[in-house]
Amino acid sequence: MDIAQERDGDVVVVRLSGRFDSSAAPSAEDQLTAAVAGEAPRVAIDMSQLSYVSSAGLRVLLVAAKKVQQQHGKLALGGLADNVREVFAATGFDTIITIAADAAAAVAAVR
Amino acid sequence: MLSFSEEIVLLLLDETDGNFVPLPEAVFAIVMSGAALMDLALHNRIDTDLEKMTVADRTPLGDDILDDALASLGRKSATLDIVDALYDVATRAEEYRARALRRLIARGILKEENGRHLWVFRTRRYPVIDDSEQQEVRARLRQLLLTDEIPDPRDVVLVCLIDACALAGFVLSAAELDAAAARVEQLRKMDLIGQAVTKAASETEAIVKFAATTM
Repeated sequence: MDIAQERDGDVVVVRLSGRFDSSAAPSAEDQLTAAVAGEAPRVAIDMSQLSYVSSAGLRVLLVAAKKVQQQHGKLALGGLADNVREVFAATGFDTIITIAADAAAAVAAVR
Repeated sequence: MLSFSEEIVLLLLDETDGNFVPLPEAVFAIVMSGAALMDLALHNRIDTDLEKMTVADRTPLGDDILDDALASLGRKSATLDIVDALYDVATRAEEYRARALRRLIARGILKEENGRHLWVFRTRRYPVIDDSEQQEVRARLRQLLLTDEIPDPRDVVLVCLIDACALAGFVLSAAELDAAAARVEQLRKMDLIGQAVTKAASETEAIVKFAATTM
């Protein structure tokens, strides 16, 4: 999995692409932890190029979401493929983490 | 930090008398298996999705319960059915309980007391001599279940395990339990192995109850 990061004003936009599984999880956790660091972070994660997410990937996103909540920030995901959205629905992650239609909507949701 | 196998053994002990709370052996086996599998998942040794479990890394962890479970999974194909893996590891549950008890005794959390009932039957109980772990887990679970706090992955596993053992009543009062029912449901769904544990434990308990009422 590849991770890219950019800023859109006060929002950190993280773009994930490829397969988010246990082989990608340790590096992704390090990078996402860095992305959500700081006071009241605003983070939008663009998932539109993500083809697969496993439980290991979900756990990394959960840890990031928890850190953002602890720091009184906002986090949203956008652009989930149907198979990825299905995983979020089956595990109830869509009731814990804000899901937006696309990356632009995720940025708007955290602004 | 305790492993999930140790955590669940500790939570299943009645701290007032050192005996295990009543739980059908078959349900206990599933829960112990789930504890080991979820620990392996958090160590990135196995991974799951909606359809399967994958052995991602066979490197031992230096933990005699987890390494045994991992070796057992490793003997099969790298891709497994989650429920099959759960039942497979469940065959080792009694040994895992013994190992978890030995570790908890070695850490000074429990002690072992042997005795006799009616001067004939041997008994063994495990009084808690340091309840700080139990109290900490209960406090953490209460905070999680009674608020909208985002859980960390370890918290999700603990909720799955206590729910499968019907132990939530040891953490919350009856009124709190009613109020937190939706929250328990929300959190226990979050781990795919946990979902399989809940389903298998519930089905097994129903079979045990049915057998008890028809014998």
